[in-house]
Amino acid sequence: MKEERTAWVLLAPALGSILLVAMFPLGWTMWESLHQHDLRMPWLGRPFVGLANYATVATDARFWEAIGHTAFFAVVSIALELALGLVLALAMNRTFRARGIVRAAVLLPWAIPTVVAALLSRFMFESPWGVIDVLLMRTGVAHQPVVWLAGSHIAWVPLILADVWKTTPFVALLLLAGLQNIDRELYEAAAIDGASAWWQLRRITLPLLKPAIVVALIFRTLDAFRVFDLVYVLTGGGPGTSTEPIALYTFNTLLQNLEFGYGAALSVVVFAATFGLAMLYIRWMGGVSPGEVAA
Amino acid sequence: MVHDVRHRTRHVIRIVRGITLVAVAALAGCRPARADDRVTLTLAGSALGAEGAVVTAQAARFERLDPSVRVVIQRTPDDASQRHQLFVQWLNAHVGQPDILQLDVVWTSEFAAAGWILPLTRWHTDTHDFFPGVVAGDEWNGVLYALPWWTDIGMLYWRTDLMPRPPATMDEMTDALRRARSAGGPRDGLVWQGARYEGLVTVFLEFLGAYGGRIMDDSGRVVVDAPQAVAALTRMRDLLREGLVPRDAMTWHEEESRFDFQNGDAVFMRNWPYAYALMSDSGASRVAGRFGAAPMPSAPGGTPTATLGGQQLAINAYTEHPDAAYRLIAYLTAPAQELERARVAGTLPPRRSLYDEPALDSALPMGVTVARQVLEHATPRPVTPIYSQLSDLLQIQLHRALTGQTDPASALHTAAAGMNALVERTHVRELAHAQHSDASIPAR
Repeated sequence: MKEERTAWVLLAPALGSILLVAMFPLGWTMWESLHQHDLRMPWLGRPFVGLANYATVATDARFWEAIGHTAFFAVVSIALELALGLVLALAMNRTFRARGIVRAAVLLPWAIPTVVAALLSRFMFESPWGVIDVLLMRTGVAHQPVVWLAGSHIAWVPLILADVWKTTPFVALLLLAGLQNIDRELYEAAAIDGASAWWQLRRITLPLLKPAIVVALIFRTLDAFRVFDLVYVLTGGGPGTSTEPIALYTFNTLLQNLEFGYGAALSVVVFAATFGLAMLYIRWMGGVSPGEVAA
Repeated sequence: MVHDVRHRTRHVIRIVRGITLVAVAALAGCRPARADDRVTLTLAGSALGAEGAVVTAQAARFERLDPSVRVVIQRTPDDASQRHQLFVQWLNAHVGQPDILQLDVVWTSEFAAAGWILPLTRWHTDTHDFFPGVVAGDEWNGVLYALPWWTDIGMLYWRTDLMPRPPATMDEMTDALRRARSAGGPRDGLVWQGARYEGLVTVFLEFLGAYGGRIMDDSGRVVVDAPQAVAALTRMRDLLREGLVPRDAMTWHEEESRFDFQNGDAVFMRNWPYAYALMSDSGASRVAGRFGAAPMPSAPGGTPTATLGGQQLAINAYTEHPDAAYRLIAYLTAPAQELERARVAGTLPPRRSLYDEPALDSALPMGVTVARQVLEHATPRPVTPIYSQLSDLLQIQLHRALTGQTDPASALHTAAAGMNALVERTHVRELAHAQHSDASIPAR
């Protein structure tokens, strides 16, 4: 009994901090989302409107488009990052000279702040003076400069390439950690049985790499769902709103237009979606033993 | 209901303020008396480069004329939307400083309707000398809320080495562009501010006026889907389709278009007066001495239109020194100071009388004749407290139509529907009549 009390006392600072920095802002945002509150229109006051903001969210075309853009961005960029990351990890897992230097070099893009990476890509894809357009024209691949950032479909190319360039190293590193935990003897045994390299990859590497892949997926999905800085710098969500992800729409509503009530409702929806995704993944990981996840 | 909440909020704020005052007084009591008992006025606005130099010099002169006042120039972001966001957050918190706010012409009615700036009625300002279009933007419900500091105006820069005179009509402009292209002229035709931001609306407004359209009618209804507006946007779209406006320009702001024109890569450029002095510098500009400025062209059914921009000075409604603040803004917007500003920073003064002064002619890089020619066509943007939100909705649809995601008619239809819904939802039309002097002066 006494021990239990001591435990609570010892836990109190941690619980208090969580309440203060996580639960309180969350609760406040939820409360705010039940009001109509527009900082730029004080004459409307701050009336309680119940779930009206959420009803607006449900029928807001721009919101659903933003969700679509976010999902598209997440699926395409994560697929590319996993594929490329796996290749890099397999390469780095081999023993060769200067392996340490190669590993450090591969990780470099991950160390660059996203805003800087986004600015770099912006300069590269700027037309007609950007290096990409100049290269395409010099090599004769294109005869006209490609206008990357003003086309509603083509604007995704610089966005996704920039994300892949920056985040593949992170995925590669996670997968490399997973690879190093796989018992070498399995491959030896398979080789003796006459299994091809492709068969080894499919039947040994990938199944045993599943925990690492799941961890990479979780991190990347949650990150991709909140993508903001890259789009803010590269396309600003344009042309029109054709590359606007949900985080940027929320930012514009809350901080650009200062619609606190509606912006809060959007934030809560985004929170719920991210939380749901995280829960889903955690359940999925439940099928994997904890020891494996630690890999 | 609304008033009840407001009343309660104010009550809480008053209590909090009272406690703060007591605490501050207690703290102040601990300190030795200050040697400086002057009133401190804070002015927030553009304070970079030449603009910063001229406002600092003028503030120092004002301090000598009015020894009871100390002026502090507070730097704020030069990016308009960031500055706006900052001001709104401060004023929501009822902060008394900065005492004087530099407002973009399209913010004045928003700040006035919100009760964040003081009506200037009690000082009986004579506004006859200012251009009427500028004063109209500084009034809300017929009451003056700000004084014009300097004026901005959209104009057409043209190449004097490629044609004898600037085009007067849209058709003439298109012909000139086609001729320049078939003669192997500059790579780009017309360049403008096409990124999705306020700049795009200012360009659109000039095409819109050329065709006789407008954004809002006198009753406050959005009419931006009228046939004239569709014709205007279709013309813009066709210029892009034909390659007479480069598609890159749909990601450009002022500076990208200036670089393009200044490098000799464009036939025409739509831009503001600031570009004139910069492009006249033969060290940096390849078109120095080979360009001129003129009003934007017109089309059948409309008139040449020049979007009116510019900056105003207004007094924070929560200031503790309204009279001193007024003396300072009256001083800064007086003819002598606006003339000096034109000379040092190249800004256009909003006072008509100055355009007869030989001093202004030599101060302005473009000269008084051209400036006056363009200013004659000055057209303000809609004066409404929700201008920024309306513009936001319009920007998206303009950008969609001009990047080929939808056609001009349906883009403008969507924009007008959304904008009118916002007008209804925010009750601004009722506000324009109901609110006069009572609600616009917040409880102190």
